[in-house]
Amino acid sequence: MSVLEASDDAAALELLHELGCTDGLPVVVPTEERVARMALASGLDPSLSLGLMGPAMAECTVELLATAAVMAGCLPDHMPVVLAAATAVLDPRFDLTEMQATTHATTPLVIVNGPARAAAGVHAGFGALGPGHRANASIGRALRLAMINIGGGRSGSSDMALLGHGGKFTMCLAEDEEASPWEPLHVALGHAATSSTVTVMGADAPTSVIGTGQAGTTVYAERLLTSLATAFRSIVSNNAAIRGGQAALALNPDHAHALHSVGLGRADVQRELTDRAVVPADVIDAAAGPSRSGGRDRPCFAEPDDLLVLVAGGTGLYSAAFTTWSTGPHRNRAVTTPVLLDQACALPGSAGP
Amino acid sequence: MRDGIILARSGVPTVALVTSEFTPQGDFVARSSGMPDIPRVELPHPVAGTDDATMATIAAHAADAVIDAWSGR
Repeated sequence: MSVLEASDDAAALELLHELGCTDGLPVVVPTEERVARMALASGLDPSLSLGLMGPAMAECTVELLATAAVMAGCLPDHMPVVLAAATAVLDPRFDLTEMQATTHATTPLVIVNGPARAAAGVHAGFGALGPGHRANASIGRALRLAMINIGGGRSGSSDMALLGHGGKFTMCLAEDEEASPWEPLHVALGHAATSSTVTVMGADAPTSVIGTGQAGTTVYAERLLTSLATAFRSIVSNNAAIRGGQAALALNPDHAHALHSVGLGRADVQRELTDRAVVPADVIDAAAGPSRSGGRDRPCFAEPDDLLVLVAGGTGLYSAAFTTWSTGPHRNRAVTTPVLLDQACALPGSAGP
Repeated sequence: MRDGIILARSGVPTVALVTSEFTPQGDFVARSSGMPDIPRVELPHPVAGTDDATMATIAAHAADAVIDAWSGR
């Protein structure tokens, strides 16, 4: 790894801005000592490569990832989650190289499950995707800085997003497993409840979905399901216009309980929404041209598992739907990766391993 | 560009088609993929999302350049 030199922190920061190594905001200057300490928190050899990160097709080493984590303002406790998130986006099914280059406004939505949520301090409740939560902000930002400085995704020259969205700075949250009426997302995906995972999905900016009514009634549950499905079947989304991709739904705890109270499990909700997320033929024809539908209504999702359902955010009226790019060789599949919490060394000055 | 490089690596004679707005990105991908000199032809931007007639016109104008690039001229 090459080392830059500067007279002081302020000069180093300006140099990093000049070299295009930042996301436009100030970063913590990644001195050798800071990077070494962050790499130590991974419990892995700094020279270990997690794989090639595109479009630069550069080796994503633990040391370079630690550099991004330092720059993003991460604590060493965040590093296992950063490591898992980077491993997940490097999975070929995620299509990171193509996703970095698309004109679409998409970014990895990072969802943390299991004990890693508490270990890293990832917030799941009110404003989990907004400002004010250090782990959420720093972990998502570390992944973005890795995608810039290792993957080479630079706006306008290799990251061709026409406009982008605010989540491209950082978009990380935990599932609120305690407030959820259902098993945690990672358990539904086949992981042990005692394990920790990171799930990444290439996501558009969230669409707010309002839902009001009397919990415990099927009338409200039906209305809520229809409203939620409408967020995906809008013809302006790639899920509706291109189809074949995935999407995510962050239900606020009230909405999740309203659905649970009429006997719906997570899988039931996925199925009900998939059945409702269908674009009528006349809507397709009106948007894409006469006869494009072939007279057939078109489902947004091939199967219920294409819609990830998690519980997050404060209690209230609003849930959030995340439509997706739905393109790439693997249709930009969501990937879930274990977070390895028992690998880290004891760090000088830290409370524990 | 990446599709072109994958095809070229598999032994298929290839010319990568890149729209003008994507030329810097295509050059970056070509360099990072270790094939900086892959033959390429620049098309006007955009192509994707235009109508069939526009694409046919673009194709007609690009055909000679593609054949030249394929022929190493």
